[in-house]
Amino acid sequence: MNYTIDNNSINILKNISFEVDYKETISIVGESGSGKTSLIMLIGGLEKISAGNIFFKDSEISNMTEDEISEIRRKNIGIVFQSFYLIPNYTALENVSLSLEINKLDNATQKAKEILDRFGLSNRFNNLPSQLSGGEQQRVAIARSVVMKPELILADEPTGNLDSENTENISSLLFNYIKDENASLIMVTHDNNLANLTKRKITIKDGVISENQ
Amino acid sequence: MKINDLSLYSKYAFRDLIRSYSKILSIIITLLISLFILSTILTIEDSLENELNENSKVLLGGDLEIDYNKREGDSNLIKQIENISTVSQVVEFSTMISTIEKKPNKTSFTRIKAIDQNYPLYGDVIFEPVGSLKKLNEIDNTILVNENIFKNLNLKINDIVKVQNKKFKVIGVVKVLPDIGGAFVFGDFALTGKKTLDKLELNTLGSFLNYEYKIKFDDYKNKDKKINEIKKIFKNNDKVKIRYPENSAGGIKRIKRIIDNFSQFLSLVSISAMLIAGIGIANTLLSFINQKNSSIAVQKAIGINSGNIKTIYYLQLLISLIFISLVAYGLSFFLVPVVDKYISDGLGLNIEASFSLTNLFIVFVVGLLVIIIFSIPTVNSIDQIKASSLFRNVFQSLQFKYSKLSISLSLLLLTILVSLFASRSSIPTYSLIYFASFFICLAVFFYVSRFIILLLRKNLLNLGISSKIAIKNITQSKSITPITVMSLGLGMTLLLTLAFVGSNFKREIAKSIPEIAPDYFFLGIQNNQKNLFKKIIIDADKEAIMEIVPMVSAGLVKINGIDPNTYISNSNDSYWVIMNDRRVSWVNTIPKDNPILEGSWWDTSKPNKLQISLDSKVAKDFGVNIGDKFTLRIYGREIEGEVVNFRLVNYQDLSINFAMLLNPQFAENIPHEYLSTIKFKNIKSFNEVNFLDKFPSVSIIKISDYLSKVTDVLNKVFIAVSIISAVTVIIGLVVISSAIIVQGKIKIFQNLVFKILGFSKKEIIMSSIIEFIISFLSIIFFSTIFSVLASKFIIENIFQLKWLFEINMFFYVTIGVGVATLALIIITNFRYLSPKVYPLVRNE
Repeated sequence: MNYTIDNNSINILKNISFEVDYKETISIVGESGSGKTSLIMLIGGLEKISAGNIFFKDSEISNMTEDEISEIRRKNIGIVFQSFYLIPNYTALENVSLSLEINKLDNATQKAKEILDRFGLSNRFNNLPSQLSGGEQQRVAIARSVVMKPELILADEPTGNLDSENTENISSLLFNYIKDENASLIMVTHDNNLANLTKRKITIKDGVISENQ
Repeated sequence: MKINDLSLYSKYAFRDLIRSYSKILSIIITLLISLFILSTILTIEDSLENELNENSKVLLGGDLEIDYNKREGDSNLIKQIENISTVSQVVEFSTMISTIEKKPNKTSFTRIKAIDQNYPLYGDVIFEPVGSLKKLNEIDNTILVNENIFKNLNLKINDIVKVQNKKFKVIGVVKVLPDIGGAFVFGDFALTGKKTLDKLELNTLGSFLNYEYKIKFDDYKNKDKKINEIKKIFKNNDKVKIRYPENSAGGIKRIKRIIDNFSQFLSLVSISAMLIAGIGIANTLLSFINQKNSSIAVQKAIGINSGNIKTIYYLQLLISLIFISLVAYGLSFFLVPVVDKYISDGLGLNIEASFSLTNLFIVFVVGLLVIIIFSIPTVNSIDQIKASSLFRNVFQSLQFKYSKLSISLSLLLLTILVSLFASRSSIPTYSLIYFASFFICLAVFFYVSRFIILLLRKNLLNLGISSKIAIKNITQSKSITPITVMSLGLGMTLLLTLAFVGSNFKREIAKSIPEIAPDYFFLGIQNNQKNLFKKIIIDADKEAIMEIVPMVSAGLVKINGIDPNTYISNSNDSYWVIMNDRRVSWVNTIPKDNPILEGSWWDTSKPNKLQISLDSKVAKDFGVNIGDKFTLRIYGREIEGEVVNFRLVNYQDLSINFAMLLNPQFAENIPHEYLSTIKFKNIKSFNEVNFLDKFPSVSIIKISDYLSKVTDVLNKVFIAVSIISAVTVIIGLVVISSAIIVQGKIKIFQNLVFKILGFSKKEIIMSSIIEFIISFLSIIFFSTIFSVLASKFIIENIFQLKWLFEINMFFYVTIGVGVATLALIIITNFRYLSPKVYPLVRNE
């Protein structure tokens, strides 16, 4: 696939092609501006590719409407951001149950509590994001992204805003969860230690895959 | 969208609203104020309508009324009615009441009801002391006067007054009459017993005598049958009018019409306020969505599509509107007792607020239309938010999003809104003209703001640092200048227009007392009293200007052989000409203030033919042409005459004016009396009480008293109108204030940089003042142009008065609004003057 912006004048990604297996964990590394984040945005259906195809299981998502992609994202893809992006006026519990509620699952609150409890946040249910530490905010954000038990988790520098202790906690929490729930992970990171935890590492340089091992 | 989804999104909308309502507080405030005004108008209209409908029998004084006009009812026919119902005879007449034991003695022109023991058949007379009403028919020569006469004539209970030349004892005060109408609405009134009629001379035209027979059916279930019986009784008597409760109380209907016009105007003020609020709604909502930028991106990232997110925001607006509509409508009930006190005390009406689902629905629908019209491009801006922004941590500032579909939808809803108001008003054309003017002004103010920005971007001047900051603030992309100019400009235009109309109107009314109007009207001067009357006036003041004209009562019964009542409705402006008998007069020469517009003056070669000169407005309203035939009934005899000319009659000059004048050669043989106006050189030389000793049956109307009452009422009306219109300015100020708050973050950053660079607070405040002055001067300039044009049109074309630029009023209004706006701008900006550096540099 290709990805260009500004009326095709800037080529962000060129001839990118790879597959992700079930339960596979992949890290995407590369210099700033190489196109890593663009790549997972495209995989998540948040931007449209300029040429080529993206398949999620057997469905080609590159041709789908925004609503159709939203439906797939809602049920099958969880996204973790570097800056957490919790909804500021929702409590931790509400942030997590939001995904369950829009998927019309029963006992949304109970399920949200269970996942927060599993992530060590049982005493933080009713706290607003502003009342949580950075590590806690990211744990809530991860809980929100995995509460639907997605088959694919996209993470963009999930520990980029955290100190080393929290980085360790968050990475072990994320990887343990993926292992337990048999999910796939595509993670953008600058952190080699974190990248080393994944099964495969894809290096991007100037918009092309320079290494895939 | 499924019900389940709607319920889920409603839950989110409700939650978001509860947690962030403070951020849309200006939307809530402006909508609440405008919907409150609308609710108040609707509630009062409804209360009055209910009161009139529920109490129509009370207002009429019976289930039916037989109006014999100047003649006493046929006793045989009245007896037939008495066999099937209860009858109360009420005779109304106007005459003078004067004191005889006071120093100095005073007089009052009064409308009196002579009542029998059955009065009132419906409703209650409120009077003091207990039992005095009953005594009217038990003790001869007793009278109950209204509170105003009691106060103005400085009376006490048991004082003696003269009615014409007979002495009457004041045995009490009457406060409220149930059956009101005509002169009883605003004028002074009194009650006396039935026997009084034999003692007074009530045969003159000046006494405006009227015999009414109020009827109450003892068995109301058979009312239709009884009504038919009564109709049969009067089948061949076309001089008698039968009135029913549903078309009762002419005076109240006139008040209702005034109130309808007034509420139509207030409705337009409220919709103006709402449309100005709409500008603020769009702006505040855009800021609100901008603040929610990342949250919306997160919602998109987890799979909620744009349409559903928009639904959440529309639901928030809908929930707010339901709440605001209920509160606004509820609050309007608190104003009804106040209005009840001011409007209806003297009318005997008891206005009570009653809940109307229709009115609540109208309030809600109007609010909904305004919200949707102004929020479509704002809520559509949600489409601009991308979930991918979350990866970059860069959020673009949102802009209004217009599409062909959204513009068409907005225009359609706007048309519905305008049509809703126009269709509810009594004169839809005026409403449409008003809306057209409003939108033209809005467009002009928008382009004025763009022009200011363009002009200042040229940066032609070399100015100080405060001015440069001010210009930069005005010309920046997030400038509040367009909002300030549009919202304040529209409010100022409306306020200035009304202030110009009010001040011109008051000036002309006040001016007309000494310059144009006579001091007195004298009604009911008999033919044999004419010379004595002239002598007494000249003896009192040789330089008095006297106009004395003959007068006779005539009914216009046919126009070209057809009864005009069959095709001219009572909504016709000139209906009063055919409603009852009118006073007509005759003159040899064309009155100097009544120029002929069409036709020719009297044809003296046809002295035996009745020729009629008609008010041109009446001719136009009735579709009468020169040469048409009028049949007049004078003293019971029908005489046919020809309309020979149309005159321009200006009733506002308060001189003698008649809708119809007759040719003197034909008319002077008709038995007649005289009407006179007098303007004294020295008004103190005339003594009303002495005059009434000699002419007890003549009625005197003192113009200055009458005009001061009118001026007093007008003053109150204009104060009320100005206060209500000021609401549009207040809403404009709230909109400006919210626009400044919306700018808050930019202002904080800007002021922080200024602080770091070493600017003083004084320089920053000065820049706000300069920014305000630039916008305000252009607002004043265009508001003045619009308000001058509008008020000049109203004063010269609708009121037909002279228009002048009232410079003092202009300065009061502009300086008042200017100071208020500037103070608000400085106060709102003040909080951004000293930003804390630490949280900002840490990007917190």
